[in-house]
Amino acid sequence: MPPLWMFQAGALAALGIAAVAFYRQLRRLRQLPALSDVAPAKGDPRRGVLYALTLGMAPWSKESTRLHPVSYGRGIAFHVGIFSGLLVLAASPWLGRLPASLVLAATALTGLGAVLGAVGLAVRILDPNLRRLSTPDDLASVALVSLFLASAVSALLAPAALPGFYLVAIALLLYAPRSKIRHCLYFAFSRIQFGRFVGRRGVLPHPGRRVASP
Amino acid sequence: MSHKVRAALEVLETQLNQPLLTALEVCARCGLCAESCHYYLADPIPENVPAARGEALRRFSREQRDPLAAWFPAWIRAEPLTDESLESLAEMAFSRCTLCRRCTFNCPMGVDTPLLMSTVRAMASAAGVAPEMLVMLADAAIEKGRDPETYLPYFLESIHDMELELRRLTGRPTASIPVRRKGSRVLYVALAGAHTILPAAAIFETAGEDWTLSIFEAANYAVFLSDLPKAKAIARRIVDEAHELGVEEIVVSECGHAYHALRWSAPNWFGEEFPFRVRSIVEVIDDYILHGRLGSLDPTANPEPITYHDSCNLGRNGGVIEEPRRILNAVAADFREMAPNREASYCCGGGSGLVALPEYDEIRRKAGKPKVDQIRRTGADWVAAACENCRLQLTDLSQAYETGTRVTAIADLVVRAMRLPGAAQDDSLPVTMAAATLDR
Repeated sequence: MPPLWMFQAGALAALGIAAVAFYRQLRRLRQLPALSDVAPAKGDPRRGVLYALTLGMAPWSKESTRLHPVSYGRGIAFHVGIFSGLLVLAASPWLGRLPASLVLAATALTGLGAVLGAVGLAVRILDPNLRRLSTPDDLASVALVSLFLASAVSALLAPAALPGFYLVAIALLLYAPRSKIRHCLYFAFSRIQFGRFVGRRGVLPHPGRRVASP
Repeated sequence: MSHKVRAALEVLETQLNQPLLTALEVCARCGLCAESCHYYLADPIPENVPAARGEALRRFSREQRDPLAAWFPAWIRAEPLTDESLESLAEMAFSRCTLCRRCTFNCPMGVDTPLLMSTVRAMASAAGVAPEMLVMLADAAIEKGRDPETYLPYFLESIHDMELELRRLTGRPTASIPVRRKGSRVLYVALAGAHTILPAAAIFETAGEDWTLSIFEAANYAVFLSDLPKAKAIARRIVDEAHELGVEEIVVSECGHAYHALRWSAPNWFGEEFPFRVRSIVEVIDDYILHGRLGSLDPTANPEPITYHDSCNLGRNGGVIEEPRRILNAVAADFREMAPNREASYCCGGGSGLVALPEYDEIRRKAGKPKVDQIRRTGADWVAAACENCRLQLTDLSQAYETGTRVTAIADLVVRAMRLPGAAQDDSLPVTMAAATLDR
């Protein structure tokens, strides 16, 4: 088996390739015309953006998440797991030196993410709406991310699993910019646009906070 | 590639901006948006999930823009746009999405699916596969704008008749409906028919407003087509008229899309900050009541239980949310809220031009079912709506589902609460001919 540093170098190279690919997508987005709104505001767009990025994402703020708390919770825990898994990847050269409590927390969060990712994959296959909506890329993306999280847990529990973890990470980093996973790049833009829209028009945050017509 | 497909794809390319690319890329296809759509609630099939509508456009967009499409089109579901798929895409955008934006509000990502559907409508308009009725109505408005003087004598004649009715209604022999009067403070833009002119005239007269009536109708059917050049041409007539008359304010009749077009879109279409402000008559009435300009209002003039339907263009997309409620609390004895309401209100199913498209009547009525259920739960006899298309749809739904609910504009309720000397004494009747009809 090649030495560990080669896997690490491979992961670093993949990270570099992913970063360049994401940067190019971001640059392309920024090069497109933004919406300039010269209609006099009825509310405060900054408050709308603040709302969209904070309370507007709370599970109680939307009917859809109130109706589907389990799906929402699963999605949140899955994404927390992804962040945890990425931190594990970043800290992987020093895993042996991490405090036990930190390893335990990372194992729990990442492991939960892996399990819920697998559950999400099953739901995508079993639920008629999601089956119809999902592309093969969607299924592969969720599967790959779940595998990444599972291999991160393996690496946390057994250092011998590190090469496998790096291989999965390399695959994920190379695939992410061309797959559905790239939605992460657009998430903030989407929420900010939504926030500007509802804030500027005085729709959200809710009444009582609304200013008078200009 | 056919001419139609080329025209449609050109629109997709030229309209690509940050919000559109974001809407194309950000959907995670989680399906949480399903129940936010009135079409899905009425007919819970996968095709009615808003994300599925977005996907209908995305697959053609991916074929154009995604490098993977060249090698693995099935992997990302990328497909070339054909004449047949363009027709079916257009039919979906015009018949199965009212651009109400309820899905966007309920999406954890904030995916702007209505923006995608507006883009499809623009593609269809450019390719010549948009509904003919909407094209005809938009073209007729543009034609009228080219030579308004031809129509002016007939218009003035009908206004003269309305003035007589206004004098009878208000009991004021000098009450008038000034048309295109220079130097007026307010330019009021009504819809076709006395029902959007008379109540407003009575309110302006009572409030002592310095107003004049536009010779143009507020309706802008090109908005439904997402045909920007035509939408601009229709809006331009009113904007130019306001400039010419030197008004301080354009007040738009109770019409959702017309308000949205002039208040929120037109300044961006023309890239200018208007020297006048644009408000809905609902906002103006609210202001009058707040400042006591309508005198003492009698809520017992509207004694029956009444509920309010939030027009998507005025409420969720326009920010006119509390104003109608303050008015109704002042002029109706028993105002009841629907649940959900305000920005969470369901679309009535008639928006975005659907009430003008008889070929989609069945889909439209079916999609209105969640709204019917909402109204029924309030136990209200009347439903007020500040949008003509909503009123048409609600009236039709009332007949189709035999709910017996009557539909009214807000201005009518206000006029009745003003207890004008010539107003109808029978409280069950609208004060003017304002009850919406289905005459197209």
